[in-house]
Amino acid sequence: MPEPKTLAAMVEAILAVAGDPVTVDTLVAVAGEGVERGQVEEALEIVRLRHEGEGSGLRLENVAGGWRLATRPEHEGVLREYLGYRSRARLSQAALETLAVIAYRQPITMPEINFLRGVNSTAVVRTLLERSLVAVAGRKQVVGTPLLYRTTKEFLVHFGLPDLSALPTPEEVEQVTGEDASGS
Amino acid sequence: MDTALLGSEGPVRPSVFLAVFEGPLDLLLHLVREEKVSIWDIPMARVCDQYHETLRQMEWLDLEVAGEYLVYAAWLLLIKSRLLLPRHEGEEKDPRQELVERLIEYEKVKAAASELAALVELRRGVEGVRFAAPPAPEEVELDLEDVDVLALGKALANVLQRHSREHPPSLELMPMRFSVREKIIELFDLIGRQRSFPLLSHLLTRPDRLEGVTLLLAALELVRLGTARAHQRRPFAEIYLTPTGAQLPVDALTDA
Repeated sequence: MPEPKTLAAMVEAILAVAGDPVTVDTLVAVAGEGVERGQVEEALEIVRLRHEGEGSGLRLENVAGGWRLATRPEHEGVLREYLGYRSRARLSQAALETLAVIAYRQPITMPEINFLRGVNSTAVVRTLLERSLVAVAGRKQVVGTPLLYRTTKEFLVHFGLPDLSALPTPEEVEQVTGEDASGS
Repeated sequence: MDTALLGSEGPVRPSVFLAVFEGPLDLLLHLVREEKVSIWDIPMARVCDQYHETLRQMEWLDLEVAGEYLVYAAWLLLIKSRLLLPRHEGEEKDPRQELVERLIEYEKVKAAASELAALVELRRGVEGVRFAAPPAPEEVELDLEDVDVLALGKALANVLQRHSREHPPSLELMPMRFSVREKIIELFDLIGRQRSFPLLSHLLTRPDRLEGVTLLLAALELVRLGTARAHQRRPFAEIYLTPTGAQLPVDALTDA
């Protein structure tokens, strides 16, 4: 059975080549015979702390139900400079509102989204579908069987959320309602 | 729209800010907030007038006024007129109630959207890391220039070899032989035991097609030899064989 430090190094190596978030289950399965979930979690914590300290250009983050290595936000400037072009296409206000409706009310149909926003959001939803932030989640069993929409794993990665329960609760959102709405 | 008429109706607001509304609810929310009143006590007449005024400006500026704005414009007028009618105490709900509820729901959506915007702001510069791992051997990409006829031939051989490994030749069964002679005797025996033998069902339930065909030939032979009679009540119905009582000339049978 590997030492905690060795296991941490192994886990880090896997995450380095993975790119996408890797679940603890996968890490346990890959780590080999006799490695327990708890040990892998301990190893992840070692990796996380190591990057938390000064001198690391990376960090370990828990997104979309898994773990991945990612660059740190403070290096956005140099990264953009180096990559030359990669500034993320910003989401429009319409896209953010539609995404918010889908995130908090999923699964939800097009007519329901339109009703809540007071405007036809078909084009916006199409854009979100193209960006893989939302996906079709079957049909609602009502008249016309409209398509249902939900958010994707890509959504969780984009917003840095471990899972949907990590979204700010409606109560938390409501606390900012007053100040925010008056300023708009 | 006549500009002179518009000018007489008060100061024209700067156009830049018209474009930022996400829809009728967004515009209404803005108007209500400007009034600085509780959302539960919207001064309908004023808000309704301002709403229509904004739509007029949008038209004047040649902005496309989406249909949704017009739907809400009509609805606002309806609510305004309802408020003008005398209402009995506690009899009916406030005509503004549904509008208020929608506005509150929409306000929540806006708040959630700004939460998401804040979240995504924190994510700037965060990119998943993936060290360039060597590709799996199966996915080695070949330069077209490196591919010659020999390589193609090898590739084909590989494919064929793999194919034959993955698809071993299926087990071949020697067809079972049935002789008409044998079947004649068998069938004669069967119809002797049963006064009316259902030939068709018997044929159709044979596991082997060849056996079925042989049996049919045997049946025809039995009829030809005058040892059995076949009858059918209507087309496609069951065919029955009944013995005529004549003996089967076993020795005269040839094996077809």
